[in-house]
Amino acid sequence: MIVEDWDQLTFRVNREAYRSAEIFTRERGWVWTHTWLYLGHETEIPNPNDFKVRTLGGRPLIFCRDTAGEVHAFLNSCPHRGTVLCRESEGSTRLFQCFYHAWTFRNNGDLAAIPDADAYESTDEFKASMGLRGVPRLEIHEGYVFVAFDPDVPPLLEHLGDAADYMTMIEQQHVGGMTTLPGTQQYSVRGNWKLAVENAMDGYHFAPTHNTFVGYLRESGFAVTDDNQYAYNLGNGHGLLVLTGHGGRISMIWEPRFGEDERVRTEQHRAEMAERLGEKRAHYVADESHILFVFPNLLLFDIEGLSIRQLEPVAPDQTDVRAWQLVPRNEDPAARALRMKTVVSFVGPGGLATPDDIEAYEAVQRGIQATADTAVPELDYSDMSRGMADEVKGVQGRSTDEGAMRGFWRHWIEAVGLDDGLAVHGDRPASFLEGRDVR
Amino acid sequence: MTAITNTHTVQCQGRTITRPEVEDFLYGEADILDHWDYDGWLALFEPGARYEIPTTDYRPGWSPHETGSFVDDDWDLILARVKRLKSRKAHAENPHSRTHRLVSNVRLSEHTEDSFRVSASFVVHRARDGHFDAYVGWYEHVLVPTEDGLRFRLRRSILGHESLAAGARLSFIL
Repeated sequence: MIVEDWDQLTFRVNREAYRSAEIFTRERGWVWTHTWLYLGHETEIPNPNDFKVRTLGGRPLIFCRDTAGEVHAFLNSCPHRGTVLCRESEGSTRLFQCFYHAWTFRNNGDLAAIPDADAYESTDEFKASMGLRGVPRLEIHEGYVFVAFDPDVPPLLEHLGDAADYMTMIEQQHVGGMTTLPGTQQYSVRGNWKLAVENAMDGYHFAPTHNTFVGYLRESGFAVTDDNQYAYNLGNGHGLLVLTGHGGRISMIWEPRFGEDERVRTEQHRAEMAERLGEKRAHYVADESHILFVFPNLLLFDIEGLSIRQLEPVAPDQTDVRAWQLVPRNEDPAARALRMKTVVSFVGPGGLATPDDIEAYEAVQRGIQATADTAVPELDYSDMSRGMADEVKGVQGRSTDEGAMRGFWRHWIEAVGLDDGLAVHGDRPASFLEGRDVR
Repeated sequence: MTAITNTHTVQCQGRTITRPEVEDFLYGEADILDHWDYDGWLALFEPGARYEIPTTDYRPGWSPHETGSFVDDDWDLILARVKRLKSRKAHAENPHSRTHRLVSNVRLSEHTEDSFRVSASFVVHRARDGHFDAYVGWYEHVLVPTEDGLRFRLRRSILGHESLAAGARLSFIL
């Protein structure tokens, strides 16, 4: 499936990985069943009794906060016969009632009532066994709620590893912390979910794919460059792009199109951060833009503003995407308006850039049919070798290299239980991995 | 409930604007967009105008300045969007989508001294890459009468969908 060759300095991924129904089923059964998955942000359900419904790995879920304020994720399926219990997409309720036979549950999962319960012989025992099915594991890091359908996954922080601190850095950006906003971008793309991951971890495509957006930035006075931009493997399949030359960020990196008022606010904010976090930490939080991928379904785009993007594979060639804007609490209204405009101008299916990304990976999905089932099977591979020569020399991979993708694929092959699907030729250089000290 | 009232004329800047006049304006715009005449489209806006598409979970009263949205273009971004769509480097629309727009249920209502509101329903059919998508929703526009005819002050398209279907990204003007 994957051929990593340190003699030839090539890294090749078989295109069946994007096409095969068998691989897709394997991903559902392995990755989406035995890995921590990003469910949603705590601030999406800020008040007791708030709920949202969401599908993860094809499983309908209720994401809710109970009357006492605790966050839960329940299978959205009546324990009686399996009916979808909550058919609203969001709202506030203390009780979930199944419309089919009127079984009723509290929002902490307890069974509240079964009509004519005395027809069951051991009613109390029976009732006790018929609570809502919660997910086996739920843990929260900096407001990001993760769930696992396998009780034996390692603790969340162990899974997140170095990615955890980049999430903390986002929370530290503003003294009052961050919150999600209503207005969720929900869309679907005709492409495999891994193509969306690759696209996010790929600085190489930026200039050609986003030519029109780069033109817009240049005209508005921002000098777009690929200098001093790097890619990091954070382990466990997580990846990070460090970007500074692809546009500013509201309240962090000023550029002329943001205007004078925002320049002043950004300077003040930068000074406040240096005092609060120390100069070194403030530098990493404020002066670089990041794109963080948390394996397998969470992308944090800390560019322009801050977008949370969640991937939900629905078929080998189709992926549902949900994206939220994460903003500082109590933000100045003028800054907030500028932020929303700026974020949306780039990110999302109606922006000036994301549609070209979607076009790119939809075009990959169509194009890779060309080499399927050919008489020359060695043609049926995608190449991700860029930057391997630098890895051998111990040079930090650039954002325009494909090192972060290689880290993703090495982890993916383990995560789908195909360890023998990775063929390594030659000796891996010792220095080729690992993040950096940003604390 | 929406009261059934006079929605076929509105008084604005001392003029009586009629529904056929507004319908002609909207039909003309649909034709311009379906023919990819983006300079012609830009000429239908007053300088400083806005173009908005809220997300599919939109609820009446939400401000794009306080919520996520699909499109939140001020005048500079409208100009950038038009420039982009005219470029052959707008990959998401190269080759161009074929679109066919139907506009209906046009209603006029009062707004301010120099502008008025128009609501209307739309169906936009779009063919691209061997797929055929339909976008359904309603417009909530603010129009301004000028000596050269009506102009957009706000052009807002609100989708009736629960989410954007596979491949149905908003890379063209909705």
